[in-house]
Amino acid sequence: MTLRTTRSGIPFKDFYSAEDWQSQGRGEAPGTFPYTRGRRGNALPMGNWIQRELSGEGDAKRSNQQLLELMAHGQNGLDIIVDSPTGSLIDPDHPLAAKAIGTQGVSVCHRQDFLDLLRNIPLDKISVSASFPPLFFVPGLCLAAQAYGFPRNILRGSNVLNPFYSETNSLGVNLPFDARVRLSCDVIEFCAKEMPRFHALVEDTYFFSESGLNVIEEMALGFVEIRHLVREVLGRGVDIDAFAPRIAIVVNCGTDFFEEIAKIRATRRLFARMMRDEYGAKDPRSLSVIVTSHTSGLSLTSQQLANNIVRGTIQAVSLALAGAHAIEISTFDEPYRTPTPESHLVGLRTQQIIDIETGIARVVDPLGGSYFVEWLTDEIERRIWNMVLEIEARGHPRELDESGWFREFFADKMRRYYQDIENGQRPVVGVNIHKVPPETDLLLREISERKMRPVQERIDAVKDFKGHRDFARSKAALRKVMHSAKFGENLLPATIDAFAADATLGEIAGVIRMAYGGPYDVFGAWQSPI
Amino acid sequence: MTKGRILVAMFGTDQHELGAVAVAGLLRDNGFEVVYLGRFQTPQTIVQSALDEDVDIIGISCHSWEFLDYVPELMALLAEHRVDAPVVLGGSVITTEDAQAMMVHGVTSVFGSASRSETILETISALATQRRARVGVG
Repeated sequence: MTLRTTRSGIPFKDFYSAEDWQSQGRGEAPGTFPYTRGRRGNALPMGNWIQRELSGEGDAKRSNQQLLELMAHGQNGLDIIVDSPTGSLIDPDHPLAAKAIGTQGVSVCHRQDFLDLLRNIPLDKISVSASFPPLFFVPGLCLAAQAYGFPRNILRGSNVLNPFYSETNSLGVNLPFDARVRLSCDVIEFCAKEMPRFHALVEDTYFFSESGLNVIEEMALGFVEIRHLVREVLGRGVDIDAFAPRIAIVVNCGTDFFEEIAKIRATRRLFARMMRDEYGAKDPRSLSVIVTSHTSGLSLTSQQLANNIVRGTIQAVSLALAGAHAIEISTFDEPYRTPTPESHLVGLRTQQIIDIETGIARVVDPLGGSYFVEWLTDEIERRIWNMVLEIEARGHPRELDESGWFREFFADKMRRYYQDIENGQRPVVGVNIHKVPPETDLLLREISERKMRPVQERIDAVKDFKGHRDFARSKAALRKVMHSAKFGENLLPATIDAFAADATLGEIAGVIRMAYGGPYDVFGAWQSPI
Repeated sequence: MTKGRILVAMFGTDQHELGAVAVAGLLRDNGFEVVYLGRFQTPQTIVQSALDEDVDIIGISCHSWEFLDYVPELMALLAEHRVDAPVVLGGSVITTEDAQAMMVHGVTSVFGSASRSETILETISALATQRRARVGVG
């Protein structure tokens, strides 16, 4: 990269004029095809987007307190992340879990946890977005809604489902490719019928682009996955307009200001054309994809931590200008941990200041018609699409997964990212330019380096729970899950019933793994109960 | 002729693996033999593999706080089995204080996100050479 190219290596000129803007975007109004300028034609007076911060630590009760506190501070959406054992689909009493329970997210393994996590949350009003392994969040949400008297069909929110890239990018569940795709499609199919307001297919390009992907690579891989899942769900006989309105994309947002804005605009346009021309969608909501974002954790530095607040602010400004539907700012302590209460509040207040005080989102797509932004949107759109076709031509995504092609792709980009920093091609303030000695680099350090101990009381609590449940009932429900998994039935009803019968997340995952010919416990510590 | 055999692993449920994959690639590209254990390892699996593979160095990639509890266990187990391969850690979450505490437990080197590739390679190379001289290989 030189100073004359964008982060993705797109060369640019000193200035742009009318002749640089191809005719395709001219005259397009927001809220009309191809939705470059967004789904909505009208701006809201305030609270233009869902403002939320990544939450979850310790057990479900403690995380519930965290959620309620953030809502009291004005947060108008929830974003929950699980701890690494839950994310790995093992229960807290599994030997591999002990040192990580609740330290990087909330520990959840049975029905009561979901109830504790979502207690006193107005599920009819607030959207609940969750980074849970596929399949496991929707049943928990349904059971909590049932317990608290909310009908399923009004629930809002989303669940991350990425089956292609999860194994390589920190969200591995030790299930084969086909099983992961199937779980995602089961959730999409179930929600199309039962939860029409819930975003069942959220393409999370955030987490996998944190390996140092540029915006072209990020969106190309995202589209490859969306397209595959759409084809799979259509293959089940579900009408495109029954589920496409609820597809959303959670994009990353790095520090190349205009490139990030153009990426979102190009993504909307590509999506609209693809849905109409390839998949025959007709509902305007199927054509106009919801784009939300999480600002880049990778762009944050462990040096001069206060600079991360500035980075988060600039990134959130670009997202507000691009018309993101929901924003989450990676907090200043991100290089070391999931957010502290202090950093949560800074992230939320940053969004509120941008929203309430600056007025930059009072007009829809205020950069529409900028020669440079329109040119860059066209250029990024073209490059993303070329790369989608190039990857699809390499073969079935199962082969790309199993041969390690995806994995090598990500590792290669991570090496590139760090090499660019090392050789100065990518200047990062405080890291390879404008450094200060570590002994003076103290601002926000104590807060950011504060640690959380694993919540080991959870081990006994879960053992106690397992010891006092009606185990015969749990086992019968697990047999039903295994049957559904083996015989291709949608897994959602059986999974909901299994949680209702006090089976746990680790147990349900284990029997699904068995149905696919794998071991109940890949770590060999546990035997199947059925 | 290899410059040395290095085991690369991660503890427990720490799944942020790409750093480990990238460093393993860097080492391979520079003449080291990598025994890649990857994610979901424990002190027991790491020690067993270090014995089976007779590695010169044990490298652990750390992106969660699990290393704080696992490293002392690993060092004790290595001593018990008389494994003399030095242990090096790498990872963005390791603070200066953590690094000092880990050295007290017997870790030989700690790399952070700001460590340069050449520093990593030089350190690993020197440690491998020392270990191989000690056991009479190469």
